Amino acid sequence: MTTAALTAGLERIPDQLGYLVISEDGVLASAGELENDEHTAGVMMQMVRTASRFRLAGSVEPPFKRMSVILEDFVYTVTVSGQKVFVVKRQNNQQEPISV
Amino acid sequence: MGCCYSSENETTEQDSDESKPLITHPNPVSKPPNGTDWITTSVPSARTDEQALLTSILTKTAQNIIDVSAADSVMMEQHEYMDKARQYSTKLAVLSNSLPQKKALALPSLTSQPHQVLASDLVPYSDVQQVSKIAAYAYSAISQIKVDAKEELVVQFAIP
Repeated sequence: MTTAALTAGLERIPDQLGYLVISEDGVLASAGELENDEHTAGVMMQMVRTASRFRLAGSVEPPFKRMSVILEDFVYTVTVSGQKVFVVKRQNNQQEPISV
Repeated sequence: MGCCYSSENETTEQDSDESKPLITHPNPVSKPPNGTDWITTSVPSARTDEQALLTSILTKTAQNIIDVSAADSVMMEQHEYMDKARQYSTKLAVLSNSLPQKKALALPSLTSQPHQVLASDLVPYSDVQQVSKIAAYAYSAISQIKVDAKEELVVQFAIP
């Protein structure tokens, strides 16, 4: 798959503020607020690696399709496909604050 | 413990290998004083079920006991310690060479349609709030787990 084909769909995601496509070797493509954001790429890579190590009892595959990192104003949505990590920064329109 | 991702069967498979001594003890006197050696007497082959049951109870009990009174008998000279340490490090060096180089695990494939997955609706706020609440409860519950000492750790057996 060419880089253009990888990113074409990401551009059309509603409320997207930027995206990253990362492989084992580094950032393949980036745009918007995540343009050349190596730091976020590194953090997201580590988070998705950690999350994908979890397994539910008796299951071989990781029990999720997408990881969401939810912040007050925006959300990072992350998934892995074909040995590439896709990160999309989307606007968080849900008003209520999250209190932990 | 019954945590989300803990599975009991994981440990049992490795147990036998993990508890196996790295270096076999050349002289039987330096056996670890866990008291397992005195029940290894051969049992007659034609034992009854009751005997088998008693033996298994005895074995279980013996495994759960650390005989502290026997610990004194296995004194080691300093040079023996040094010798042991050297043996262990040699053994470990050999073993670590045979281990495969641990490289970063390959990324799993979470989906074949990444664009669709990323474009789908965000997690509803109520769901996030519920998960945060459950996590807070779990954290609070875990922080309240404590050991409650009920009986003596070392017990004297009234062996005549």
